[in-house]
Amino acid sequence: MLNKLLIPARAIALGVILSAASLPAAADSASDAKLEELQHKLDQSMKMIEALGARVKELEGHATSGPVAAAAAPAADAQRLAAVEQQVVQIETVNATRQSDDSGLPIHGFADVNVGNDNLYFPYAKGTNVGSLDLYLAPKLGDRVVSLAELIFETGPDGHVGTDLERFQIGYQFSDKATVWVGRFHTPYGYVNTALHHGVWLADALRRPKFVNFEDKGGVLPAHTVGVWVTGAQHEGNGKFLYDFYAGNGQQIQGGTLDMQTGGNGHGAAIAGTRLSYQFSGGAVDGLMVGVNGFTDKVSDDRVNGDLITPNATLIRLNMVGAYAVYDTDMWEHIVEFYSFRDKTLNGSPGTHKSNAWFGQFAYRGRWCLPYVRFERASLDQADPYFNEQTFGASYYRSALGVRFDINAKSSIKLEVAHTRNTDDRPKTDYRPSDAEIGLPQQYNEILAQYAVRF
Amino acid sequence: MRTQILALLLGTFLTAWGSAAAAGDLVVICHTSVSLKADEVRDVYFGDKGFAGSVKLLPADNSAAQDAFLEKVMKLDAKKYAGVWIKKAFRDGSAPPPVKGSDAEAIVYVKQTAGACSYVTSAPGDGVVVVAKF
Repeated sequence: MLNKLLIPARAIALGVILSAASLPAAADSASDAKLEELQHKLDQSMKMIEALGARVKELEGHATSGPVAAAAAPAADAQRLAAVEQQVVQIETVNATRQSDDSGLPIHGFADVNVGNDNLYFPYAKGTNVGSLDLYLAPKLGDRVVSLAELIFETGPDGHVGTDLERFQIGYQFSDKATVWVGRFHTPYGYVNTALHHGVWLADALRRPKFVNFEDKGGVLPAHTVGVWVTGAQHEGNGKFLYDFYAGNGQQIQGGTLDMQTGGNGHGAAIAGTRLSYQFSGGAVDGLMVGVNGFTDKVSDDRVNGDLITPNATLIRLNMVGAYAVYDTDMWEHIVEFYSFRDKTLNGSPGTHKSNAWFGQFAYRGRWCLPYVRFERASLDQADPYFNEQTFGASYYRSALGVRFDINAKSSIKLEVAHTRNTDDRPKTDYRPSDAEIGLPQQYNEILAQYAVRF
Repeated sequence: MRTQILALLLGTFLTAWGSAAAAGDLVVICHTSVSLKADEVRDVYFGDKGFAGSVKLLPADNSAAQDAFLEKVMKLDAKKYAGVWIKKAFRDGSAPPPVKGSDAEAIVYVKQTAGACSYVTSAPGDGVVVVAKF
């Protein structure tokens, strides 16, 4: 019996030796020293085999009985081993083929609460405020059909909690170079509006720059569009070229706030725009992205000269061109965006109006905190009905200094001090009250704190 | 004689396998339907490359080898890797790669799923395409 085992044992040992000898030899065939070393090892191994063989023969002489029982035991073990192996393979197969979207539809979200001497969006409100509860989900509808829905509960300018279907878009991925989305999406301009939209935890700063904020939070740009969006990327050189083209319903100013006309507009006027970007990869400029963007939009208003006219009366041709740059690395996050407006009044008192706005934000990613500083300036022509009719359409300066602390991977605390100075004296108009009447101070200081989480 | 040959082959295989594992190789593998270059692996796991030709890519992480993969290939740690996917998921609805629990699971997943890719630290055997070794 033992003799039978000895023969394969010798063969295994020989295989081990041969293989061990061949691998290093292949790795460095020119090395004489290694060959000598291998020869020495081989000799040692052969001696060991001979010794083992002698020992086996010695033991064989002492073996007297039990060959049947000895053979039966390994057979039973082998059977059990085979059964266990089969079970393991089955478990691994089940786990391996399980897809991430097989376990239901995960809902993720963000939320924030704030404390400060002012509401961070509406300075006429003081104290503690609930920011937003933002839920988003992305049902998988196949390899190429994609979808995204974002539902948000947030406090509005009147202090009441409102619900908004922030995004609802269904798309089809043709390739990496082209995905077509249809629905309501974040208008692709600049960096902040698509990369750091809602989801306060995502952003390093406590809040977005004022003029690129959401339409109902003091922003003056169409942050959302309802329409069609084509986006994609192509590797070029050491980086990536990214593009966005979109077209959708022209916006309307309703009650002093820009509305994206989610249900469609009545006159068929449209917004159309593009964003072209290049993202550098590797080398000294790794983490840098630069881009240009622009759109043209026919914006209507619900009132002209105080009289309610047809809801979709075309009023303004809004034209914007802009540029942006982002430097996002392990150590730094710098964002600069610039917008230039050349608007044309299409009825009432025709004319062309020039405005511009920009901000620069510079942040350092420290080991235990992230300090940042930001400067904003919006110089908005108040003869332009597009800005004049918006409640928060006044020109302003703002400087802010803040810091972010990450409590853990899912929560952060941010602090910010800021000074804002409005540079337009806006009396009441036929379609909105004066800034003073709604409690918008001409200039104000803010001390703000925010607790933001993701889940 | 047959037993001896089988034993010889087994011995050779065990030694070769042990040598590969000892070298600490990280092997990126894909389903046979996938044609991918080594320098494209990073893009795949950042979600920037979703297709190989007309084949939709379905990368999976392997928790047994993830630390080595993130260090050698992605050049970042697990926290930053998770952060990249949190932002990406919110921006465009992309889902992060599912996580397999072992080399064996990863290999089975890649073998059975068209478009699948993963990474292992042991010899993947036949039935997969070895894209790169790190």
